[in-house]
Amino acid sequence: MRYLMMQKAQTTEPDANLYAEMAAFVEELTASGVLLATGGLDPVGFKMTSAGDDITVTDGPFTEAKEAIGGFALVEVRSKEEAIELARRFRKIVGDGESVIHQVFGP
Amino acid sequence: MTDTSATVGVVWKQESARIVAGLLRLVRDVGLAEELAQDALVAALEQWPATGVPENPGAWLMTIAKRRAVDHIRRVRTQERLAPDIARLSETDQEPGDDDVLRLMFTSCHPVLPTEARVALTLRVIAGLSPAEIARGFLVGEQVIVQRIAAAKRTLAEAGVSYEPSTQLSSVLEVVYLIFNEGYSATSGADLIRADLCLEALRLGRLLAVLAPEQAEVHGLVALMEIQQSRSAARTGPGGEPIPLHEQNRGRWDQLLIRRGFAAMLRAREAEGPPGPYVLQAAIAVCHAQARTAEETDWVRIATLYEALERLLPTPVVRLNRAVAVGFAHGPQAGLDLLDELRADSKLADYHLLPSVRGDLLVRLGRPAEGRRELERAASLARNAAERDFLLRRAAALAVPEESGMLLGPAVAGFVGSLGPATSRAYGQTLHRIARSAGDRLPLAGLTAAGIAEICAMAWPDVAPRSWNRHVAAVRSFATWAGVPELASGLRPRRARPGSVAVHAPLPPSEPSLRERALWCLLRESSAKVGAVLALNVEDLDLADRSARDGAIVWRSGTARLLPELSAGVPGGGLVPPDGGPGRGPPPAPADLCPETGRRRLSYERAEYLCKRMTGRSLGRLRHAPAVPGDPGQR
Repeated sequence: MRYLMMQKAQTTEPDANLYAEMAAFVEELTASGVLLATGGLDPVGFKMTSAGDDITVTDGPFTEAKEAIGGFALVEVRSKEEAIELARRFRKIVGDGESVIHQVFGP
Repeated sequence: MTDTSATVGVVWKQESARIVAGLLRLVRDVGLAEELAQDALVAALEQWPATGVPENPGAWLMTIAKRRAVDHIRRVRTQERLAPDIARLSETDQEPGDDDVLRLMFTSCHPVLPTEARVALTLRVIAGLSPAEIARGFLVGEQVIVQRIAAAKRTLAEAGVSYEPSTQLSSVLEVVYLIFNEGYSATSGADLIRADLCLEALRLGRLLAVLAPEQAEVHGLVALMEIQQSRSAARTGPGGEPIPLHEQNRGRWDQLLIRRGFAAMLRAREAEGPPGPYVLQAAIAVCHAQARTAEETDWVRIATLYEALERLLPTPVVRLNRAVAVGFAHGPQAGLDLLDELRADSKLADYHLLPSVRGDLLVRLGRPAEGRRELERAASLARNAAERDFLLRRAAALAVPEESGMLLGPAVAGFVGSLGPATSRAYGQTLHRIARSAGDRLPLAGLTAAGIAEICAMAWPDVAPRSWNRHVAAVRSFATWAGVPELASGLRPRRARPGSVAVHAPLPPSEPSLRERALWCLLRESSAKVGAVLALNVEDLDLADRSARDGAIVWRSGTARLLPELSAGVPGGGLVPPDGGPGRGPPPAPADLCPETGRRRLSYERAEYLCKRMTGRSLGRLRHAPAVPGDPGQR
């Protein structure tokens, strides 16, 4: 089963140590075949709304900086517990903050 | 919050390969390494609920496991009154690396192990699955897997396989692809647990690609699996029926996996070595994945790739797939020509895809009546209901006027029903087999004597004259009953001459073993029951009288020449000894052991295996083949 893990933007500045640990973590998950895709998100983004035939595009930002999603990882795991364990390891590396995790259905 | 034991299980699955691999470097025994790792797991289950999950659970498990390994090494060295192996112990400071995991993979996939054992052991020590999980995946009892893994560890220990890097990468690739295919053949319902095997295989493959990145075939296998897996949502319909590739909804293909497959394929191209079977199969999968619609498929390229693949891997299935590709690339007649070469292969006689493919080609050639019969024949050979229904629906969808005249299936049923019970059973066996090969809905008028002769030759290539003649009699009397006696004219009865060799199976000159030659002669010359011969003890023999057990078993000159040598120096017990020394397998019954020497006798299963290996024939057949004087024993 697949889970999309979304990280809210960090308030603290990452240091070199965090980058190294994160690189090793990503490398390990890629090697073990768990990590399918990952990337960082521009916290600004734009919004599209539809009402009837009208489409409106509004440029961001929309949320407080700490609520914006800063990055994602798509993982393929055997169970929810495995997703939790991966998220736990991720949070240990990045420090205080919040992740939102959803199971992905499909394609 | 989840409970701690679930966390332990998850950490174990993520870390077990590295832990067992690291321990293997220390103790050089897979079985022992896995037991020590299990000890650490048990310790975690005991302590974590109280202490909480440690900061770095993987490192915690590794530390405990290493401590157990060091204790073990010290203990063994002390028992053997040796100084501790300082060099080995100092290695405990090293973190297990990729090389360790790769060596563990080579060990668990070692060619000394039977395939099933390789699969079970790899899923156990690399993927970290429990025996119960493996058993569910392979639809066997948990105990079967437990025993299989234990036997595999024993075999590795006996063969002295411990920690050598192997060159046999193909053996590892084979195991990974086998696991994948086991999952891929599962389709629905309860099978979904089995489909998880695909993901385990993908994980193993991706891991291997990092461990052995210079090998093109590794990336080829990964590409092949990623792309095959990308179709998993599209390849079965709502009722579990298979949907052929060219009819699948390509919008349901998983583009993420396809891109991963393409990336793996690029890595394969960059790696060394000529394209092997996995790279070629992956290249074919890439061709399909690149086509946005079925019509855009580059069949010419696929046909070329299959031609290259057939040179490396000339299996019937590859040849069949090549015929399909050629049928699309160069027209149905070209495909049909290739298929007709395959029809002579008796291994494919009951393979439902052969008539299924042939049916499609015939329909495309504008011969729907023949095509429909082939599809119906394919349906009668199909292995599961979903596939059978699917084939029958395709057959029914063809606009073909109803066959006129009597059809083969109903005709056989009518004829067999008119016979007495004994004859109907014997003749029924023959005729139903023929109807299955030719197609139940073939009109009698479409049958030819040559066609029937061909079917019989394929179905019973190697039978004794008496059986063959029974088949001939069945066909003759059916043909007469149906008013077309000429149908049996292609079949000739065979004569069994008494006293001559019915099944001439000389011992290959390359067979040097005295035991095999003696067993061989004894069976042929005595015509005694195989079990009785294997049960003979040395003290039963009357060499002067050429008999044993008061004349119950008698032999002739060939055996008489060999027996003195075979029994020389053996005080008593089994005449025909087993392979190797004692100690393998379950303990023998007392009657199978010599009380003085502990010598055992050859088992029936082993004897059967040896006989098959030497001649391709079963022991029973050998016994019924009367001996020719002076034939085998003289060498």
